[in-house]
Parts: sequence; structure tokens; C-alpha cells
Amino acid sequence: MMQALEFFLMSWTDPYLLFLTAAGTFAGIYIGAIPGLSVTMAVSILISFTFKWHVNEALTLISGIFLGGVYGGSRSAILLNIPGAPAAIATGLDGYPMAKRGEAGTAIGLTTVVSVIGGFVGIAALAVAAPALSEFALKFAPRDYLMLAIWGILLVGALSGGSLVKGIFAGALGILISMVGLDPMTAEHRFTFGHVQMTAGISYVAAMIGFFGVAEVLMQLHELKTRAVRQDVSRIVPSWARVRKHLPLSMRASAIGVVVGALPGAGGDIAALMAYDHAKRTVKNPTRPFGQGAEEGLVAPESANNAAVGGAYIPMLTLGIPGDAVTAVIIGALYIHGLKPGPMLMIETPHLFWFIVGSLVLANCFLLIFGLTGIKLFAKIVETPKPILLPLILVLCAVGAYAVNNNPVDVYWMLGFGIFGYFLKLYGFQVGPVILGMILGPLMDKSYRQAMISAEGKPAQFAAEFLSSPLSAVILAALLLTIFSQTAWWRRWRGTA
Amino acid sequence: MLAAPDAQEGGEPEPALLPGELAFCALLLLLSLFLLWQAHGISGFESLTSAGMFPMLAAATMVVTGAVFSWQSLRRGPSNVSGQGNWQAFVVQITPPIWVGFTLAVCLYMLALPRLGFLGASFLFLLMSMRLLGSQRWLLNVGVSVVTLAAIYGVFQTIFSVVLPKGSWLQNLFR
Repeated sequence: MMQALEFFLMSWTDPYLLFLTAAGTFAGIYIGAIPGLSVTMAVSILISFTFKWHVNEALTLISGIFLGGVYGGSRSAILLNIPGAPAAIATGLDGYPMAKRGEAGTAIGLTTVVSVIGGFVGIAALAVAAPALSEFALKFAPRDYLMLAIWGILLVGALSGGSLVKGIFAGALGILISMVGLDPMTAEHRFTFGHVQMTAGISYVAAMIGFFGVAEVLMQLHELKTRAVRQDVSRIVPSWARVRKHLPLSMRASAIGVVVGALPGAGGDIAALMAYDHAKRTVKNPTRPFGQGAEEGLVAPESANNAAVGGAYIPMLTLGIPGDAVTAVIIGALYIHGLKPGPMLMIETPHLFWFIVGSLVLANCFLLIFGLTGIKLFAKIVETPKPILLPLILVLCAVGAYAVNNNPVDVYWMLGFGIFGYFLKLYGFQVGPVILGMILGPLMDKSYRQAMISAEGKPAQFAAEFLSSPLSAVILAALLLTIFSQTAWWRRWRGTA
Repeated sequence: MLAAPDAQEGGEPEPALLPGELAFCALLLLLSLFLLWQAHGISGFESLTSAGMFPMLAAATMVVTGAVFSWQSLRRGPSNVSGQGNWQAFVVQITPPIWVGFTLAVCLYMLALPRLGFLGASFLFLLMSMRLLGSQRWLLNVGVSVVTLAAIYGVFQTIFSVVLPKGSWLQNLFR
């Protein structure tokens, strides 16, 4: 016990490790906040510096970047309606309307506090319930992953207030874009049209920047004459009364974040959307209607996505399975440092587990400090006149897309998706499902084929297996309920109920 | 600001079509059919676990949903534009001159990036597009452009080791 505490406090007492945790958190927040720079990208790039470092130094930096990056994505979602990462898509739904009313300071302050609460809940779950939750995640069959991914895409389409039919179309389009390249199982060409350059596929980061960054810039051209709203950032730290009011929702959303984050493949993005959906269904009297700047619409996704960080560490450390794209990168880094994430890591090097938990707690404390400071500078961004701001964002988007692979072709993809995204948005299509489809497409393809193989290629048996376990039945019911809740019958029933 | 049409599937009256919306929906449906045909070309119906089966399912979903929203658009009737032809309304509301000008500037910027390099192409793009969008103060435009580009260049090139395009024309000039 005392030894565990000693390792827990190691990064708190060593000045260099303390500095690295702070630097990682700071860098994570600001990189995550730059439109187009995702937390995956931040971790991927910054982690490469650590390969020659001592493992403890690398782990502290990684912990800070991960927590800071997930939180940082919310800032650009609130201020510019461009999520820094898929996990912040839901945050923009209510955060951006708040910023448009000049309440960016309130939104960022509240987001910071609930992110820290979510972070602590996630880390506590990691420390206390890691083995149990990992065993639960093991029960998920490929068909469950397939349904979870479909559910995630449906949720984005349904939650954003648009047409579910268009949401499904957009999700399917995203899945097809993710299929471009070589089939990972058979190496057959899919949608490459005979071009060798297409075999590597299309970068989802370039698509994300195009759909969210470039398309938003093109949309904003219709509002050039609108005067920028002055952001009130005089009071950033939310009052205790406000925090206490949202605390129960934040705790519930954090619990969702932990469970979803612990499911391999389902990270902060799905957790945030599920938490948003939960808030929409359970909060009877939000501060404003959802989608128009409800504080609850910020509290739920931001608590969940930071709680999902702790959750994502659970399968990573105990099973060696990545919880999301970022933990996949981290697993690669751990291997380079000579560690083998999985059950043996907990047995052979338990001290590392407590060291990581301690570093995450420390990074979460730094998140509170850095999150509540420097907001005035960020708020100035939205006060910049649009004729100056829009070209600057465009340049930033171009650099972000180029930096993924140092390839100008990604910049052309970004532009193409941006113009396409402009027309999609204009005609009432949501672009969120396209991105989610792109991210989850490979997982869905793999899960579908595994599930079909386990059903011996018989469609009837394949369909029957969805009801073969209580877990699958529950996910299927949730999926069907999401579809049904978007129909006129449901609205009529709710209207008469 | 143009209002994106909400598809009201409940009993509320649906908004009128935007100019070009029906054509866009039809184009998406055609795209879906093309993708379904391409997906079928991967491995046909040889097996339910073949490389082309899941793309076919996704493309078929696009065809079905594309047909549904195209039909919904068709039922909503013509766009509500008084005294304007469809094409004229499309040009005025969807692709106004400033939109076309800016989009062309972005396309030129993308083409110039590998030739002029990041700094040269970005500087020219920033100056040109700021002026195009109505920022009249040249000194401010130049100042903001220089400071921003210096910051981006410093962060990406120095800290992240991202090699930004140097520009083939400039390299040839100084060779």
C-alpha cells in the first residue's frame, strides 16, 4: 500500500516530472484548441520526442497531453464551432450558440470545471475498478461493436436536430470514404479507381478539417457584415451554486464516459454524444433549449469525454487493447519503451500503474489551472473582424491538413471536402456523421465480417445472434429506440403522453 | 445568413426548398448509385464476408436514404423565390460573387502552395483574400499576416518538425 502511494506521488515530488506534466497539459490544451489539430495528432507528434527519454518522463508528458488535448478541443468548438476533435462535436452544439451571445467566458469556465470533475471520476474508476471493467468489456462480441458504431453515427445524426434520413446518408457516406484504399484482410482495391495514390486511403484529419474548418469558413461568408459579438470573459470561474446545480448531471455523464471509454474502440467521441443524449432526455428544464446554448449541453459531453480518458486507460493497461485512437498511439509508444501493455503489465510492473494514475491526477489539477487562465486571449479570436479572421483560419486549416502526412494531396482533399461540406450544410445535412463514419468505418467493416464468419455466413443466424445475449439485445434496443425517437409516431405519442 | 432547411418529419409545415436543393439531392442520389455500382465491382456477391460486401451495404443505405430525401424534396415543391429564375436565385443566395471570389482565391492558394512555398503562397493569399472580403487597412492586413505566418512557421517547423512546403519555383530560382 505504502509502495503504491510512493509511486502515486512520484510525479508530484520530482520537480522535473512535475514540469513535464504541466508542459504536457499546457501543450495538449493549446494544440487541441487549434482547429484541425486533433488530440491524436498532438499525441502522435509530441510522443515522438519521448522515445529516447526515460519511461517515467514519457508517461507524465503523455498523460498531460491526453487530458489537455481532449479538453482543448472544446475551446475551438465553443469559439469557432470547429471541434478540435470528434469528442468535442457535441460541445459545439450548445457552446457555439453561447459564444454567439457573448457568453464564451461562462461556457469555457463551466467546461473547464466539469472536464476536471469528469477527469477525476475517470481516474478514480481506473484506480478502483480497472480489472472488473476490463472483464466486462471483454464480453463484447464483434456484433456488439458493429451495433455500437451504428448507434454512435445515428446519435450524431439524430442529436444535432436535423433529419435522421440525411444523418444516416451522411454516416454511410463517411463509411464509404473510410473504405477507400486496400482492404486490410484481402488487400483488394476498394474505390481506388486505378490510382496508386488512392491505395493509402483518405486521411480523416484532412476530411475533418475540410468538413468542419473550410466549410464553416465558406458558410461564414454569408455573415461577413454581421458584427462580431463581444465576449464577456470578466467572470470565468463559475459560481459554486452553478457547479452544484450541474454536479449531478456531470457525475452521471462522467459515469457514461468511464463505461464507454473503457469499451475498446469506443472513445470520448461516442461517450460525449451519449452523454449529450442522456442530458437531452433527462433534463426537463435546461437553462435554454438544447441546441440554443443550454449549459447542460456543455456539462454532459465535456464531463463524459474527459472521464473517458480514465476509462480508455483501463483496457489499454489491463488488456493491451486501445480504448480509442489516442490510446492506440500510446500503446505503440509503450512498446517502444519496452513495456508490454496487457495483463502482465499489472502483474510484473504494478508500480507503473500507480505512477500513471498519479500522473493523471496531477495533469487534471494542471488542467484546472491552465483551463481557467488565458481565456481572454482565446476570446479575442471571435472578436476579430471576419475579413481578417476567415483567411487566417483557412491558412491554419491548410497547415493542419498538410502536417498530417507532409503531403499537399491532403490539402486538396481538405479543400474538396470543404466545398462539398458547404453545400451539405447549406441543404440541411449534418457533417458530424460523415466524420464519425470515417473513423468508425474500418471497425464496423471488421466487426461485420467477424460477426458474419461466426454465424457461418448464414444471414438468418447472423440476425438471430443479435438477440442471443442480453448485452446485444440491450444495445439493439437502444439503437432501435434512437431510430424510433426520430419518427412522427414518437413525437405524436410524446405529445399526447 | 441562409437558413439550412430542417427536415420536419413531424406535422409542422416544412420550409420551402432552397435554390438548387432538389438538384443537389438528385446529384447525391446519382453519386450513391455510382458508389453502389463501384462497390459491387470490388468482389460482387461472391461471399457475405468479401471485401466488397460491407461497402455495398453502406452504398445501398445511401441509395435508399438518398431516394427518401430526394422524394421528400420533390414533395416540398419549388423553391420560394419571388421574381427570380432558379439559376439567378442560386447565384444570388447560394454562390454570391464574394463566395465565388473567395473560393477561387482558396483554389489558387492550394495550387500555389507547392510552387511558391508556404510562406510566399500564404502571404499572398492572406493579403488578397482580406482585401477581397472588405478589410481596407493595408498596414493592418500586412501586420496580421506577417505575425500570424511567423507564429505558424515557428510552431510547426521548429516545435513539431513539420517540413512546410519550400516552393519549387523559389528553389529553382536560387539553385
